[in-house]
Amino acid sequence: MSVLTEWRAPAPEAAEEQNALYRAWADGRGIFSWFSVTTHQAIGKRYIVTAFVFLLLGGIEALLMRFQLARPDNTFLGPARYNQIFTMHGTTMMFLFAVPVMEGMGVYLVPLMLGTRNVAFPRLNAFGYWMYLAGGLLLYGAAFTGTMPSAGWFSYTPLSGPQYSAGKGVDVWAQMITFTEVSAMCVAVELIVTIFKLRAPGMTLNRIPMFCWSMLIQSFMVIFAMPAVMLASTVLLLNDRTIGTHFVNPAEGGDPLLYQHIFWFFGHPEVYIIFIPALGMVSAILEVHSRRGIFGYPAVVLSMVANGFIAFGLWVHHMFATGLPQIAEAYFTAASMMIGITSGVQIFCWIATLWTGRLRLTAAMYFIFGFIFIFVLGGMTGIMLASIPFDLQAHDTFFVVAHFHYVLIGGALFPLFGAFHHWFPKFTGRMINEKLGKATFWVLFVGFNLTFFPMHLLGLKGMTRRVYTYPAELGWGPANLLATIGAVTIAVGGILFIANVLRSLNAGARADSDPWEAGTLEWAADSPPERFNFAHLPVISNRYPLWAPREQQGIVVGMRNDRREVLVTSSMDAEPHHRLVLPRSSIWPFLTALGFAIGLVGSVFAFSWYFVSAALGMIGLIGWFWPHRPVEIRP
Amino acid sequence: MTPVRTLDVSGLPPYNISNRAPTWWGQVLLCAIEGSMFCILIAIYFYLRLGVDFWPPHGARELDPTLSSIALLPLLLSAIGSYWASEAAKKDSRSGMLGGLILNLVLAAVFLALRFANWGRLNYNWASDAHGSVVWTILFLHTFDMVADLLFTIALVIIVAAGSSGPKQRLGVHVDSVVWYFLIGIWLPLYGVLVWGPRLVGGS
Repeated sequence: MSVLTEWRAPAPEAAEEQNALYRAWADGRGIFSWFSVTTHQAIGKRYIVTAFVFLLLGGIEALLMRFQLARPDNTFLGPARYNQIFTMHGTTMMFLFAVPVMEGMGVYLVPLMLGTRNVAFPRLNAFGYWMYLAGGLLLYGAAFTGTMPSAGWFSYTPLSGPQYSAGKGVDVWAQMITFTEVSAMCVAVELIVTIFKLRAPGMTLNRIPMFCWSMLIQSFMVIFAMPAVMLASTVLLLNDRTIGTHFVNPAEGGDPLLYQHIFWFFGHPEVYIIFIPALGMVSAILEVHSRRGIFGYPAVVLSMVANGFIAFGLWVHHMFATGLPQIAEAYFTAASMMIGITSGVQIFCWIATLWTGRLRLTAAMYFIFGFIFIFVLGGMTGIMLASIPFDLQAHDTFFVVAHFHYVLIGGALFPLFGAFHHWFPKFTGRMINEKLGKATFWVLFVGFNLTFFPMHLLGLKGMTRRVYTYPAELGWGPANLLATIGAVTIAVGGILFIANVLRSLNAGARADSDPWEAGTLEWAADSPPERFNFAHLPVISNRYPLWAPREQQGIVVGMRNDRREVLVTSSMDAEPHHRLVLPRSSIWPFLTALGFAIGLVGSVFAFSWYFVSAALGMIGLIGWFWPHRPVEIRP
Repeated sequence: MTPVRTLDVSGLPPYNISNRAPTWWGQVLLCAIEGSMFCILIAIYFYLRLGVDFWPPHGARELDPTLSSIALLPLLLSAIGSYWASEAAKKDSRSGMLGGLILNLVLAAVFLALRFANWGRLNYNWASDAHGSVVWTILFLHTFDMVADLLFTIALVIIVAAGSSGPKQRLGVHVDSVVWYFLIGIWLPLYGVLVWGPRLVGGS
């Protein structure tokens, strides 16, 4: 690396310089400023907190379903209400919780891990959050005023079409997708650019922290997958419903299966969009608590990249029961099994890391162990379902429900909880209570298996998904009751978790900047980080800069502190290229999101509102980009 | 204070107007999003084609190949305007930016006029059948993107003409050219599909 670093004792930082940094990054007070915030820590936290609120709502919906299914011939929820509740549950968990929470973790952690001060596009980041919030408010605003979608989280046509789904529920669902996908795409763009262009000097590609790799891959997947679902939901579904296009109308040359293809072209990568950040979290946590670097760094990174590619070749395995040509089915079976190989590589690398490390059994590690156990089980049932003869039997049964909860809760939620325990000191400046954390783990682990393991058996016995009740003679009662008891146990685990968070926030032990003696840069910043993250940007020459000897660590000097400056480095070798002045806080991202939101909500009723959306959005964007005087940027 | 290794960056420029600016990367990625959307639309077009015997349906009047092909000329030439403006932005030449942007706008307007004339020929609309739905959707979305970008270009012309063209605005001019290249580039396969597709895979 050609970066010249000379030894010198930096002049004691003038207090004025430090104050300048604080002033440059400060946000004003008051409600107006609250809507103008563009720092990544604040936006990341908002994503995470909002997503957890939706997790709570989705969890309550799950409990309602489990109460209904607890015994045969139950009448707690009627069939129509049950349809609405399972639709809201799936929609909330996939679109309003799982993806946004991963985006939020990325927004918060990636700039810290890369040793920079904010994401590359801070206002786009704020805009993305407001779009996400607007989408969530649209869905739940409509729900609480009596309009709920009820055609499943994927709203298959023709069930979701105009003939079979009257009312505005499906339209609201379709437009909610637009909001959340726009938000995910904003985060994807800004994270890719942040990871390629704002890395600390010296952070070559093979020194990027594992979690940043995972967010990079996930972001590329978002860019290629999310346009599909926006087309599926707004063009194929909403336009068919509101302006009479015929994409999915077989009477006029359309095809309902087209909707499934486009939806699952997004929908399968979606699973990996949720799951790959979780893999990054697992690797990052394992490194710290095994007190060694990840075993097989290139192998783990490459298998994540491979997962990202293969994920786009799997979508038809959601459609094996639709009567596709056999050659296509054979291809998708092979691809589905292939992803077992790349996932297997990672699991073996983790085992090797654990094997050769010096373990510290924290609550975070408990969640990682739980992840490996549950996820491997979910992977096994995945391999079973990849086989078409088996899939045809198990399709749309509770076996599938069990499978995807094992991979999604096991594969994403457990790592996320682990990550939350692991990075809690960084987020809040306080340690989370370890004992309560471990108790939370055990309650959740037991509750999870109690809930979802019996579902495998129920599915094999023939219980189909989305049935609101079943007769006693079928003998499904005991297993269902067990699952409901498990669900209540999960709820207890959730309460324990919330209690632990609240208690630790107020009374947890103070955390210093690096309570785990970790190796990556986020632990070099204060806990919680200042708005500018680092008073001096770090220079690194090692994959784990904080584990490196002192002579290999360095700092950047010569940045201006009186404005929001970051350092742009080259995409491969992270050589300093130029300084970049990031914009100050701005109300325009909020106003722009508001403008788009007004139009998009209107478009649920009439197509012409898209033009309102475009006009308001454009006014917002022009305000956003309007030059501030003086326009020149002095060195 | 103990000595540390330092890297002095005070000599680096505080901005950069080139393909190494983060904004350029961001714009390219936004184009990738839009591009994947159009690719999926092409897939939808051919998927729907597979489901029917005749494409387009009998009696449907499609885009005129001659008019569509002639329209490519001003469209391709408009890239010169974008290129001129983006090079001028790098050199901070106000007259160059204005000249390039206005050339871009004029040629784009000619292209759009030809497109609307051609579009008016269609004797079906989005609600006629699935074929009409996909053709209108592709035309609508591409036109929508073009009009949006041209409105932003007009905003840039106003900003530059008003003398507010600092580095951020000049970077704006530079990345605006990326959007325009993309919209031209993505139109070529879409033109191929909409104009020549029915002739190649239309059936008799």
